[in-house]
Amino acid sequence: MTAEDVSDSDRKREAHYHFDRHAVGYRERFGEITKEMQTKCPVAWSDTYGGHWVVSGHQEVFDIARRVDVVSNDHDPEGKRRGYQGVTIPCTFLTQSGFLEMDPPEQRHYRQALNPYLSPAAAARWKPLTDEVVRAAIDEIIETGSIDFAHDLANIVPAVLTLAIAGLPIADWPLYCEPIHALVATPFGSPDRPELTQKMYEIITSLAAAIAHGRQQARPGLIDALINANINGKALDDKEIIAALVLILIGGLDTTAALTAHALEYLGERPAERERLSKERDTLLDSATEEFLRFFTPASGDARTISADCEIAGTRFMEGERVWLSWAMANRDPSVFPDPDVIDLARTGNRHASFGLGIHRCMGSNVARMTFKAMLTAVLDRLPDYVIDPNATVHYETIGVVQGMVHLRARFTPAQRVGPPLAETLAALQRTCDEQRLAGPVTRKVR
Amino acid sequence: MKIHVDTEKCQGHTLCAMRAPELFQLDEIDGHSSAVADEVPASQETAALEAVRSCPEQAIALS
Repeated sequence: MTAEDVSDSDRKREAHYHFDRHAVGYRERFGEITKEMQTKCPVAWSDTYGGHWVVSGHQEVFDIARRVDVVSNDHDPEGKRRGYQGVTIPCTFLTQSGFLEMDPPEQRHYRQALNPYLSPAAAARWKPLTDEVVRAAIDEIIETGSIDFAHDLANIVPAVLTLAIAGLPIADWPLYCEPIHALVATPFGSPDRPELTQKMYEIITSLAAAIAHGRQQARPGLIDALINANINGKALDDKEIIAALVLILIGGLDTTAALTAHALEYLGERPAERERLSKERDTLLDSATEEFLRFFTPASGDARTISADCEIAGTRFMEGERVWLSWAMANRDPSVFPDPDVIDLARTGNRHASFGLGIHRCMGSNVARMTFKAMLTAVLDRLPDYVIDPNATVHYETIGVVQGMVHLRARFTPAQRVGPPLAETLAALQRTCDEQRLAGPVTRKVR
Repeated sequence: MKIHVDTEKCQGHTLCAMRAPELFQLDEIDGHSSAVADEVPASQETAALEAVRSCPEQAIALS
């Protein structure tokens, strides 16, 4: 063995921890595992999945995430560059997952193209439409006294909104909704995956048709932005646009749905907290939203590849090594979040990492917050006494990509519907969306 | 008290403007933050301190 080999194995042995997020029982043991890792080895080496670093300490996650000079998001399945494996461990995406799995400068060009559609100002324009979709979704079940918060609300609203922002017909939401959720919720080796592949094919066909149509006749939205984007001096081909759209669909649908379901479950278990949040929402809604984000961290982490030998936060890394940045564990770091395992709806200084850190900060964050708050406040107003049936709650079998819920069933005091049915509502909203060009880009105000 | 937002570090998380809307303005296009005015009014100093602590990128400094 060379001196280098010895120090390499020392480096990893000293920080060794057997870490497997996909193992049965991980979700239940999350709190305990987090404490252990943060105490013993906030940057740990695990031999699982080909060997990778696991970063659980907030400072360490912070330091590494921002070092884009030596840390790469690249996913290069065809080995055209350095064969890096992107943001999942094990590598779950067969193709490059859009601009999330790219590095600057291309990554920056994508974001510049899409920013005007997803900024805080852009998100604010969608609030009336979002509120109306929420109204209609709740109306569908309000008279029955029974709801599945996942199926009947949290899965629908983000899907409709994401399609609207993309410039896709919002009535098509069912085509996208189930398969995208299934894509994220179905474990990698599951027998359900072949059927899923078929459904994804249908989505991709639909996206390709929308792109072709958009090239002929411009329609405002993210698709239009991608069609017209200049990325590294070139226009994007259909395959690249589809990859970006699938990323946006995965980002737009599951994560907000997961946050909403978890928050509603939490509040359902604590009627006094729920009442307090409802009464004091003017002062509490924002901080409560950030606290739910921190505690539930729907997109629990992302992988990186070290692109050059370096030392960060006291650990030496070698080029090519894989690193799992756990936003979820960083969000439980007691040195940043006192009493981290307690949900404090009024928490201050809540600088959580749930939308990531650094240049890949989730572009959907403004839309996510707006949509979540719209759903939450409507539930507090119209189903204030909902009672969850814990035996009917179903979490995702795997938390590999997003920590979500399949079913969250509850009963509540029935009430009257207040508006038109969902299908009719979506048709009316589509007209409004098209007439007002809601999906067009925000432009900078002249000061 | 003056606010300085490091434009290299700001990634548009918007938590500063959420906590202290009178002190921070957000760019319409990318949601990045900048200080509204040169000086922080005395009544807003607590909000300013909390906004600093709320930034996930630690991009805000006070002087």
